[in-house]
Amino acid sequence: MKFVILYGTESGNAETVADDLVDELGTDNEVESVDMTDASAETLSPDALLLVVCSTHGDGGLPASAVPFAELLDTERPDLTGIRYAMFGLGDSSYETYSRGSERIDERLSALGATRVGEYGRHDASDGSLPNDAALEWARNLVGSLDEAQAVAR
Amino acid sequence: MNETAAPPEVLRVAIVGAGPAGCYTAGFLRKRWPQAAITVFDRHDAPYGLIRYGVAPDHLGTKAIAKQFDRLFARDGVTFAGNTDIGTDVSLDQLRADNDVVVLATGLWADRVIETFHTAPGTGAAAPLAGVYGSGRLTRLINGHPSESVEGLTIGRRTVIVGNGNVAADLVRLMLTPADVLASHGVAADVIHALTAGPLEHIDVVGRSPVGAAKFDVAMIRELGRLADVRFTSDAAPDAGAPDAGAPDAGAPDAAAPDAADADGKAAAIRELVAGSPEAAGRTVAFHFGWTPDRVTGDGRVSAVTFTATGAAGGAGTAGTAAGSASLELPADSVCTAVGFTETDGAHISRASVASPRADPDRGRLDDGLYAVGWFRRGPVGTIPANRADARSVADAIIADLEASFIPTPTSLT
Repeated sequence: MKFVILYGTESGNAETVADDLVDELGTDNEVESVDMTDASAETLSPDALLLVVCSTHGDGGLPASAVPFAELLDTERPDLTGIRYAMFGLGDSSYETYSRGSERIDERLSALGATRVGEYGRHDASDGSLPNDAALEWARNLVGSLDEAQAVAR
Repeated sequence: MNETAAPPEVLRVAIVGAGPAGCYTAGFLRKRWPQAAITVFDRHDAPYGLIRYGVAPDHLGTKAIAKQFDRLFARDGVTFAGNTDIGTDVSLDQLRADNDVVVLATGLWADRVIETFHTAPGTGAAAPLAGVYGSGRLTRLINGHPSESVEGLTIGRRTVIVGNGNVAADLVRLMLTPADVLASHGVAADVIHALTAGPLEHIDVVGRSPVGAAKFDVAMIRELGRLADVRFTSDAAPDAGAPDAGAPDAGAPDAAAPDAADADGKAAAIRELVAGSPEAAGRTVAFHFGWTPDRVTGDGRVSAVTFTATGAAGGAGTAGTAAGSASLELPADSVCTAVGFTETDGAHISRASVASPRADPDRGRLDDGLYAVGWFRRGPVGTIPANRADARSVADAIIADLEASFIPTPTSLT
C-alpha cells in the first residue's frame, strides 16, 4: 500500500509522530512524510491513503506549519474527489478547544470532496504523555480495518 | 532530496545551549546530516533550559516537548555534554577550532530590570527595598533550578505583578494554586511555603499596554477562569479592544489571526474572565491596563507601588485604559516583575562580541561557521514554537552554507 503522512505541527510533536509512522509502516509499504508547510495540491493523490496528523495551537487554532496548507485549500479549492484520508488529532483536553486544530483540516478536506476513512484518532496531552504510542496503535488498527474491508470486498 | 555533494561523514557540529532553540536546531541538522557528529553543550547538568526551568510545572503538555528531545539523545545519536560552560570550561575559540559549525543557542534569561524597582536610582546597584522579585528567579525556583534559593522570599497577602505577558499569567495561576496541587507537580516544600504562607488575598496585575495589546495569549487567560474562589476585575473600558485599535488590513482568512481580531480576542477573554468569576470570593485579582511602572515605596521593605498612565505625558494612545487619572498607587507587601528578559550582565558570550563583519543576523550567521539561533539571535520574544520555526530557518541556512562550500562548481556558490 502507499501512504502519504501529512503533518501539521507547532512544537514538533506531530512531526515525531510522523517519523514513527514512517518507521512503522515503511517496512511493508511505500511511505512518504510531508510537512503541511511543504505540501501542494499534488501531494494529495488518489493512489495513496493520506494520514493526517495535526496538533492544535493555543485557543483551538491551527498549528503554525498547517496554516499555509489551510490557506492553500481555501484559495485553490482543489477537487479532492477520490482522495481518501484518515485523521489523527493532537490536543490537550484541559482546553475547551481540544483537538480543534485537526478538525479544521478535516472540515476543509471533506468539504473539497475527500473521504475520511477509519476511526478519528486523538491524543490528549493533558497528562504529559507523548502522542506517539497512541498514534501507532491508531495506525495499526486503521491498517487492520482497511485490510479487512478489502478482504470483504474481494 | 537531490544533493549533488554531501558533506563528509566527519562533519562536526557543536550547539551551545540545550534549551528548545538548541535542541530543535540539533533535530533539523540531524535530519539532513544523519552521519554528522552533533554535540549539544549546556552549563547545567540537565538539558532543556527554558522547558525545564521556565515552563510552569502544571503545563504538562508543554513540558512534554522535552520528551521529543529525549529521542535526539537516546535514539538519534546526538551527544549531550552537560555541566560545560562555554567561555569558562572551554573557550569559544577552542570550540570553533574543534568543529565545522558552532551554533550559539544560549538564550536570554536574565530578568529585565525596572530601574527604580530593582536598583537604587542613578547608581544601578543594589535593590532599594526588600520584597521585590524578578519573575525569572521565581519561575526558576518553582522549577527547582539548582542555583536558586528561597532565602529572603516572602509573598504575603497582597502582591503586585508588573507585566501582562504569559509569565505574569503563570505567576497569577501558580500563586493561587493550592499547596497540595503544587506539591503534586513536584514543587519543593520550601518554595510552596514561601508562595502560599501569606496566604495571598489580593493580586494586582499591572501592564503598560492597553488590554488589546497585552502580551498574554488568550488561552492563558481562559485558564485562570478555572481557579477556585477568585474574583477577577479589570479596569479596561467595557468596549476596549478591536474597533479603532488601528486595525491594519482585515479580511485575512480564518487560518491566520489578524491583529484586530487578536486585540478583540484579548479584550473579550478578560471580559469573560471577569464576568464568569464569582461576585464575592476569598481572593481577588485586579487587572490594570495602560499603566507604566513609576516607583516602589516603603521603609526597608516595599509597602506600595506607584504607576503612571502610559502616554499620559504624550497625550492619547491609551484608549480604553487608564482613562481619567494619571497615577495609580497600589499597596503591596511584595512585588513581582514579569517584564521580559535580557542578556545577563557579564555573560561570557554576547552576540556583539562575536559577530564579524561577515555576519548575516537575519539568517543566523555571525561569522564563518558560527551561527546564532533562538532568543540569542532574535531577542527575548516568541514562544517555544516560534523558536522551532527560528531553528528551522537557521538550520536551513547552515545547511545551505555548508553544502555550498562542498560543491565545487562556482555557479552553485550563490
